Amino acid sequence: MTPAWKRRLSFTRMGRWYTGLTIGIGLAATNTGNNLLFLVLGLLLASIIVSGILSEQSLRGVRVERRLPSVATAGQPALIGLQARNGKRRAPSFSLEIRERGGDVAGHGFLVLLPAAQSAEVAYRFVPQRRGLHRFEQIEVATRAPFGLFEKSRPMDAPAELVVFPREVPAPPLVGRTLARDGERPEDRIGLGLEVHSLRDHRPGEDARSIHWRSSARAGRLIAVDREQERRKRVCVVLDQRPLRGEALERAVEHAAALVSRELDGGAEVSLALAGAFLPAGSGEAQRYAALRLLALLGAGGDGLGAPEPDAEGSVLQVRG
Amino acid sequence: MPRAPRGLTLLQAQRWAGTLTAAFGFLACAVSGEMGPAMTALFPLAVAGSAVAGRRFHGRMQWGWTVLLVGALLVLGVQVFAGQIDIILAAALFAELLCIHRLWHRRTERDELLLLLLALLLLCAGAALSAEVTFGFAFLAFAVSGTWALALTHLRFAIEEGRGPAGSAALLNSRRVATPALLGGLAALAFFGIAGAALIFLTFPRVTIGGLRRASRPAPIAGLGDRVDLSRHGTVADDPRVILRVRLDPAPRGEPRDLAMHWRARTLSQWTGHGWQSPDGGLIPVLRLPQRPPRGRGVPSVLSADIEVVGQFTDGVVFTPEGWPLGVDFRQPGTPRPAARRLYRNAAGDLFYQPVDSGDVRYSVVADTDEPDPARVRGRGQRYPSWVEADLAVPASLDARVRALAERLGAGKDPADAAAAVERWLATALRYTRDLPGDVADPIADFLFVRRAGHCELFSSAMVLMLRSLGIPARNVTGYFGGRRTDAGYYAVRAGDAHSWVEVYFPMRGTCVSTRRLPPSAGAGRRGSRRGWCSSGTAFSRGGARSWSTTISYRRRRRCGGSVSSSTRPDGGWPERTAAPGGCVG
Repeated sequence: MTPAWKRRLSFTRMGRWYTGLTIGIGLAATNTGNNLLFLVLGLLLASIIVSGILSEQSLRGVRVERRLPSVATAGQPALIGLQARNGKRRAPSFSLEIRERGGDVAGHGFLVLLPAAQSAEVAYRFVPQRRGLHRFEQIEVATRAPFGLFEKSRPMDAPAELVVFPREVPAPPLVGRTLARDGERPEDRIGLGLEVHSLRDHRPGEDARSIHWRSSARAGRLIAVDREQERRKRVCVVLDQRPLRGEALERAVEHAAALVSRELDGGAEVSLALAGAFLPAGSGEAQRYAALRLLALLGAGGDGLGAPEPDAEGSVLQVRG
Repeated sequence: MPRAPRGLTLLQAQRWAGTLTAAFGFLACAVSGEMGPAMTALFPLAVAGSAVAGRRFHGRMQWGWTVLLVGALLVLGVQVFAGQIDIILAAALFAELLCIHRLWHRRTERDELLLLLLALLLLCAGAALSAEVTFGFAFLAFAVSGTWALALTHLRFAIEEGRGPAGSAALLNSRRVATPALLGGLAALAFFGIAGAALIFLTFPRVTIGGLRRASRPAPIAGLGDRVDLSRHGTVADDPRVILRVRLDPAPRGEPRDLAMHWRARTLSQWTGHGWQSPDGGLIPVLRLPQRPPRGRGVPSVLSADIEVVGQFTDGVVFTPEGWPLGVDFRQPGTPRPAARRLYRNAAGDLFYQPVDSGDVRYSVVADTDEPDPARVRGRGQRYPSWVEADLAVPASLDARVRALAERLGAGKDPADAAAAVERWLATALRYTRDLPGDVADPIADFLFVRRAGHCELFSSAMVLMLRSLGIPARNVTGYFGGRRTDAGYYAVRAGDAHSWVEVYFPMRGTCVSTRRLPPSAGAGRRGSRRGWCSSGTAFSRGGARSWSTTISYRRRRRCGGSVSSSTRPDGGWPERTAAPGGCVG
C-alpha cells in the first residue's frame, strides 16, 4: 500500500540548469559578499520554495480512477479512461499529468486545469501488442507546475487487469471433420421447426395455425400438426496447443479466435476444445467473450494436459499450428 | 452573439513574457552604465527587430551568427586577457549577444529556456556591476516577468507535449488562457517570491569566503593593499565593481553627480626599491580618536559619512573621508547594542577594525572638514621632529637625476612651494598612461626620464622620493577617489576608483598637505564622457584647472609627542587622520 504522503521529485531540464545556476550564484555571492547577488540568490531560492509549495498544492486532494474498456484486442487501439477528481474545496490543480506506473501498460493523460471539487476525465490510447493478461499497478499523478523546474509526482495504488483478446485475423478456410452434418438439423422431438413431426386431433382452444387443413379435409375433422424441434449448426473449434510454441502458438490461437468469431457470426453454436480445457457449445456475445478470453489466456506448453476432447455432436474445426 | 475575447493568446503571452524577461535582465546590466552606448542601444533594436522579423530569420544564416558570436568571444577574451576590460563586463556583453541571438531564434522549448537562463545571467551580471536604484526596479520587473515567462513557457510546452501539435493548437491560440486573471495571479506569485527573496536575503548568513577571488586586473592597484610593486607588467584596467556605498551628511553642495572626495585607506611609506610597503609595527586599540587642535575659528565644519563596505573589499581597513576624523562608530543605526568591532590604528595613523569577519561592514565616520589657510604652511622651516625621519628616508640607490631634478624644481624654496613645484611639474611634464612599465631596474628613473609616462602610483612615488630628496617629509597614501551619486541617494565608489596620492608634512603642529593635481583613478573615465586612456586626460585637465589653494588640503596633526603609538613610535605618527586628496591612479 503506497502511503498518501509519498512523493517523487525529479529535475526537469530547465530545473537542472536553474538549480546549477542557483548554486553557482550562491557560490559567487558567498565568495564575493555582493549584496545584490545575495538578493538574486534569494529570489531564485524563493522561486524554488514557491514551486515546491504550489506543486504540492496541485497534487494534494486529487483522486484518480481508471476506467478499463470491456473488450481489448491485440493490435487494435483501446481507450483507457482516467477520471480525476479534485477533492479540494477551493484550490484548483494545475498542469496534471496522470500516467500509468508499473504494470504492463504505459500511457498518460494531461489536464491543464482541474477545478476545485470537480472531476475531469482524460483518456489515452493503448494499442496492445500481444494477447493475454495485462496488469496495471499504480497511477501516478505528476505536476511540473508552476514553473516547470521540477516534477513532483504522487503514486497511487490502482491494481487492475485487462484481458486482451487475440489479434483479429481472417479465418482460415478449414474443412470440418465429418462427424456431423453441416447446417441446422431436426431433432426427434416436438418443437418449433419447419419439418412435420406428427399429426393428431386438434384440441379445443388450440391455436388455429396448428391445424393441418389438407389432412382435416381428408379426415373430416380437425387435424393438428406437430412440428419437429430443429437444432442450430453446432461447431467445435479444436486446438491442441501442447506442441506449439512462440509464433506458431500465436498464429494458431489467432486462427482459432477467428473461427470462433466467424461461426458465432454465422449463428452457429460454438464450443471450444483445448488441451486441458473445454468450453461447452453456446452462442451469442457471451459465448464469444468466454471463448476469446479462454484463447487469450492460453499459455504455451501443458505437456501434462490431456488431448482436446471435441464436442461429439458438432462439426469439428481443427486448428493446426 | 457572444463577443470574441480580447487579449493575448497563450503563445503571444509566452513569447512576450520571455522578451520582457530578457529586456529587464538587460536593463539590470545597462543601468550600471558600463556596457557602452553601442551595446546599450543594440539590445532594444534587436528586440524590436526580432518582434518584426524574427520568425522569418529563424534557422537562417546560422553560419553568420556563429561567426559573429565566435568573433565577439575572441575579441572579448583578448580584451580581458589584456586587462582592457573587466571579466564580468565581458561576460555581460557576451551574454547580451547570446540573448539577442536567442531572441531571433525562438521556436523550441530549448530556445525559450536558454533565453530565460541568459536573462538570468544578465541579471546576475547587473548585480555585480550596478549600484543604482534602477537595478532594484529592474530586479522587481524581472521577478514578475520571469514568473510569467517560466509559468507560461511551462504551460505552453506541457500542453504541446500532452496534447500533441494538432490537439494543442486551439488551446495555444486561445485568448481565454493567458487572461488578466492568470497574469495577475502569477504576478502575485512573483511578489511571494520577492517577499521570500527578502526573507532569505535578511536571514541567510551572508558569509564571504573570498577564496576564489578573481584577478580582476593584471596589475596591483592602489586601494587596500599593504604593498605596491611598481615593476608589474600589463595594463591598469577599470574595475566597475562597487566597493563603498556612502551617504554624506550634510550632502555635498549641489549634490554633484560625481563626488570629488578621497577615501583614505592606508599609508605606504617604506620604499622597497621597486615600490612601497606599509610601515612595520602592530596595531593598538583606539578608545577615542584624538581631537583636532583648536584653530581659533568658529564652529568647525563636520561631515558625517555613513559607509557601507562590500565584504570583499573590507580587509579590516577603515575608510575615512577627507578631514580630521573625530569618531568612528560601528553601531548600526537604532541598535542599542554595543558594536561588535573595535577600532585600532597603526603607527602611521591608519585605522583598522577587528575582528575582520566576512560580509559587508557598515560604520559611520565623523570628520572635521575645515581646511587651514594654505598660506599658513609657508615659512615653517624644515625642523622636523624625530619621528618623521622614516618619511625622510631616501634610498641610497636613488638615481642622481631624480635628486637633480628635485633640486632644480624645489631647491631653495619654501617646502610648501617646493612641493607645489614638484607636483606642478609632474602634472604638466609627464603623461598618464595605463600601461605598466614592466620589470625595470629603477621604475622611478624610468618613469621620469625614459618613458615619461606612467600610472598613478608612479606619479605619487616619484613625488614622494623627490620631496624626500629635498628634505621634505612625504609619504605615499592609498585609498579611493570619487563616488557616483545613485538614484538611491548614496554615492557608489568602485574598485576602479582606487587611488594613490602624497601626503607632505609641515611642522605646523602637524599639518599635512596632500596633493591633488596628479591624475586620478582609472575609474575616472567612467565619470566622463570618454573611457579608457582619454579619461585620464579629462581628469588630468580638470585637476590642472584648479588653483593650488583648492587642490591641496591641510590637515593638522595632533601635538607632537602625543601618546599615540607608544609601542613603536613614542612621539606618534603622522597626522592623525589625513584624508587628503591627490592624484595617483591605481
